[in-house]
Amino acid sequence: MANFRALESANRRKTFFLLFFMGVLVWFISYIAISAFGGSGAGVIPLAVLISLISVWGSYFASDKLVLKMTRAHLIQEADNPKLFNLVHEVCIASGLPMPKVAIVDDPAPNAFATGRDPDHALIAFTTGLLGAMDRDELQGVVAHEMAHVANRDTLVSAVAATTAGIVALISDILMRMLWFGGGRSRDHHGNQMPIFLAIIPLILAPIAATMLKAAVSRKRESLADATAVSFTRNPAGLRAALEVLARDNTVVEARSSAVAHLYIESPLDASAASKLFATHPPIQERIETLRKMEANPNIS
Amino acid sequence: MDASLLIIIAVGLFVVFAIIQYNKLVRLNVQVDEAFAQIEVQLKRRADLIPNLVETVKGYASHEREALEKVVQARAASTTASTLPAVAAADGMLTNALRGLLAVAEAYPDLKASTNFLQLQEELSTTENKVSFSRQFYNDSVRTLNVSVKTIPTSFFVGLAKVGEREFYEVEDPTIRNAPNVKF
Repeated sequence: MANFRALESANRRKTFFLLFFMGVLVWFISYIAISAFGGSGAGVIPLAVLISLISVWGSYFASDKLVLKMTRAHLIQEADNPKLFNLVHEVCIASGLPMPKVAIVDDPAPNAFATGRDPDHALIAFTTGLLGAMDRDELQGVVAHEMAHVANRDTLVSAVAATTAGIVALISDILMRMLWFGGGRSRDHHGNQMPIFLAIIPLILAPIAATMLKAAVSRKRESLADATAVSFTRNPAGLRAALEVLARDNTVVEARSSAVAHLYIESPLDASAASKLFATHPPIQERIETLRKMEANPNIS
Repeated sequence: MDASLLIIIAVGLFVVFAIIQYNKLVRLNVQVDEAFAQIEVQLKRRADLIPNLVETVKGYASHEREALEKVVQARAASTTASTLPAVAAADGMLTNALRGLLAVAEAYPDLKASTNFLQLQEELSTTENKVSFSRQFYNDSVRTLNVSVKTIPTSFFVGLAKVGEREFYEVEDPTIRNAPNVKF
């Protein structure tokens, strides 16, 4: 399966299933809430949904502006870096996307990210370290990867994943507190009610599972962006060489935080800090291998 | 619910369905037109760059008359072409002529080091990329349209939308035509 069309549809399918499982998880935790806590448990659900929706979707709509602040990126104009704008324009022509805003992060660590709620509000940013470390073909690969995130609406996908993970986390958090403080409140409901102690284990495990699923969604979107980038440039070698530059480099972005980690082309956090199940990015060597297979198999229109 | 209401709902659903298919075909067809316009924009950009390039090369390698002539002629031909096959043919000729000229330029270190040429180089590579990406996007758009024209359910609405299969943009390119080396 070394062609970008097959890879794209496989990654889309996997994202769909992961989001579906996240939905199932929300349903499962709601079921636990209602069956173990009765009416008070049922009241928690809309509250959690509301809080999660407001917090995530607020940042989704303002994503291009918020991220600029959080990553200390500043917008540039065509005159500031005509070559970079040429590259971005090339990828826009290849993809049929509108021209995004372009920003620079003054940071020696090579990295790049894309954000914005839709292609018309897209923002792509590059660190000065990245611009200095790469040749034209490699930069084009990175630009294509970022524009692929824009084309695939990854800000939206990660907002959906973050909302569902947030709902699960909030419900179990509130229920755990209810257990702690007023555990016996549901005792007035008799009959077919689940004993409360049976609810504790799912309440602990569900948010962990939600976080893992959210990370898995992010990893699939990275693989998808690599495949889509190749569909734009038809040049897997450029992106592969760029990833090799990133793999060789071990400086990390200064203004980093786990809140924006999923945005970057390469994880800005220390690799050792997170286990593979919680990683927002697939291992870079794996991505390089996939691109190599595409290079070996260029028999696509 | 009586039968007439069911019929009204069924007809309504069918109309909505038909509108969606019709709009899809029209949208894809417009996208192909836009993609072709983009090719023309990029070809024009390239044609505008050429006089400057020719002058720069002449300054250092005036006796490379043949390569220069080819570029000038191909440029002239490309500015008059209007139908798709003619545009594609002229585009292919100019692409090859430019490649020939740049190959010739390789032999002149003074030319390659001149500030004029260095400035042109980035312009030339981005323009070449833009030309080839706009061709690629056009062909992708044609591919999507042609698949829709031929597959159910959109194929039922082809007559209604007055949309048909479109031509691919094919450039005569010897570097592509040459089959990859067979190794034994």
